[in-house]
Amino acid sequence: MAGKQDYYKMIHRKWIFIIICALLILVTLIFSLSIGMYDLSFFDCYRVLIEHLTGNITDPYADDIVVFTRLPIGVFAIIVGAVLALGGAVMQSMLRNPLADPYTMGVSSGALLGASIAIVLGNGIMPLFSDPWIKIVMAFGFSLIPVAVILMFSFKRRVTATKIILIGIAMMYIFSAVVQLLMITASEETLAEIYSWRVGTLALTTWDTIPIPLFISLVCGVVLFYHHRSINVMMAGPNSAHSMGVDPKRTILIEITIVSLMTAAVVCFTGTIGFVGLVGPHIARLFVGSESKHLLPASALFGGLFLLLANCVARVSGEYGLPVGVISAIIGCPLFIMILIRMRRKSAWK
Amino acid sequence: MTEIEHISGKEEYKSTLSRKILFLVICLVVLILTTVISCSVGTGYEFSKTLEVIWDHLTGVTYEPRSPDWWADYYIFNNVMPGVIMALVAGAGLALAGTVMQSMMENPLADAYTTGISSGACLGAVVAIIVGFSYSTVISGAGIVINAFIGSLIPAIIVILMVRYIGNSPSTIILIGTALTFFFNSLVTLIMITASAESLQDAYIWQVGSVSNASWSDMPLMLVLTAASAVLVQLSSSKLNIMALGEKSAKSLGLDVVQFRMLCIILTSVLIASIISFTGIIGFIGLVAPHMTRYLVGGDNKFVVPGSMIMGSTVLVLADLISRSLMTFGNIPIGVVMSFIGAPVFLYLIVRKRSHKDVF
Repeated sequence: MAGKQDYYKMIHRKWIFIIICALLILVTLIFSLSIGMYDLSFFDCYRVLIEHLTGNITDPYADDIVVFTRLPIGVFAIIVGAVLALGGAVMQSMLRNPLADPYTMGVSSGALLGASIAIVLGNGIMPLFSDPWIKIVMAFGFSLIPVAVILMFSFKRRVTATKIILIGIAMMYIFSAVVQLLMITASEETLAEIYSWRVGTLALTTWDTIPIPLFISLVCGVVLFYHHRSINVMMAGPNSAHSMGVDPKRTILIEITIVSLMTAAVVCFTGTIGFVGLVGPHIARLFVGSESKHLLPASALFGGLFLLLANCVARVSGEYGLPVGVISAIIGCPLFIMILIRMRRKSAWK
Repeated sequence: MTEIEHISGKEEYKSTLSRKILFLVICLVVLILTTVISCSVGTGYEFSKTLEVIWDHLTGVTYEPRSPDWWADYYIFNNVMPGVIMALVAGAGLALAGTVMQSMMENPLADAYTTGISSGACLGAVVAIIVGFSYSTVISGAGIVINAFIGSLIPAIIVILMVRYIGNSPSTIILIGTALTFFFNSLVTLIMITASAESLQDAYIWQVGSVSNASWSDMPLMLVLTAASAVLVQLSSSKLNIMALGEKSAKSLGLDVVQFRMLCIILTSVLIASIISFTGIIGFIGLVAPHMTRYLVGGDNKFVVPGSMIMGSTVLVLADLISRSLMTFGNIPIGVVMSFIGAPVFLYLIVRKRSHKDVF
């Protein structure tokens, strides 16, 4: 039974990676609380957190900064990173395209367009929903447009993987032009704010932001994890999937709709943060392989960790910090090019 | 058009030729009209008044200082016209760069923006301006442009190397260029914010392009380089035609492909650097103008080169006009207007069916 033992060992190693990621997230989260203008050490933050939890607050000012300013940003960074990386992992497997992620496919920018239309028009269009919900509903609706366009093309004729991404990027350019115009004409936002939305920022996060995206992404994440078998099957290609009893088109539609929904839920609050959906899954793939059962949680966790770290770097850059999207692009773009080159040389993905 | 002489003529050919020339002339007239109209929009002066002021200025009529006419002249010449003329020159230059790159790389999607060369140039210029780091201390403008040129060579060389390394698939090359654009843009932001007390707004303006801070002193360098490149490209337009046939055909027709490509890269990089250093990254103009021109006059670069320069100027002057007319709603840089016009064209060029090899 040596083979079986090897297999268990392998699985064991995958779970260890996942657990290490989770632990690192916790440590980094506390570390990220110590970063900022008000000077606090790692252990100070730890103490403040414990004091807050046990209820005897000795330093109200530090408590206010750590628990009400920095902690929500850190927590939201983890959620957003996890959602985008999970979306990237699912899209890459479903479309068999290593460059696919919510950003490069134009889903994020579609969602941002929907959200900005909702913001600009106010609550008038859908009075049934209260404010954050209407933003999410609109964002979800618009995030489906690029997906629909891309799927239409890839169902109708053979389109190469690179071309699909190029279509996504072209849609992103169009959407972001519309968003810039809408925001600047309608809500008197400054160019700096437009820029922050365009590259994605976590700086506006408060505790009020978190519950809705957390709820939606948890539900979507669980559903996607529950579907991990059909996602695995889809990786073998539409024909093989068909012969294994999975309807490829229906599966693609369902899974990508779920990905769009959870992307929409976070993009409404952060703008379009790029390349997290590439970094997370591709690094996770190195450690746990492509089997969805492990890849999905591993890339979600690694994506969360990555965005948390990127946000730490973003916050110490410059006097007032940077939008986190700048840092994630600086790390993600070289990876994007690397994948592209490898893809062209190994014909497996073509 | 001296080219007419050495073209032996069937009647039919001559008629298409004269049609093309007529088209160029019409475009030129439209461009001049658009420019003058653009100078009068947003100034509060009537069109005829603007025309009169510009005419008087050019013919050397001087007004009594601080008279209404003097103010009109002062306002139009110092506040409005630099931006318009910069849009005009930048449009021509970027369209020219786009035309050259599309023929040279046999790639209908190539232009200064999509291959990342603009962003590289922008990074170079920003580094020069912010860090005060430039290779020439004699004239700061030239120093910035030289830095921008060096910056623009990075993506240019990467993209050209990639063609050798992974093959010339148009979409792959453009994807690499796009990734480089994102990367360099992020670096620009990072450098601007960390190295000095610049605001995010300034970083953003560099990345979408703007002509609203133009002044006459920026113009000479840009104008000279654009005009010189235009002459050079026009003279070698038949070589460009051969390049667009593909590398093998070009070689068998006796063209030194490697050398010519190198020349083209250096030429376009200088051109792009000289424009981007003053305007920031204005995208898509190098896609829109050449493709429109090719659609109207066919693929012969002898006509595409001047045609797309005129077209590029017209489109960018129009974009500037729109951007200034929207000023009442808010500050919308010319680059945003341009991506409104250009991004759908980009999408169309990607998804249309026969996307390969129809540069020519």
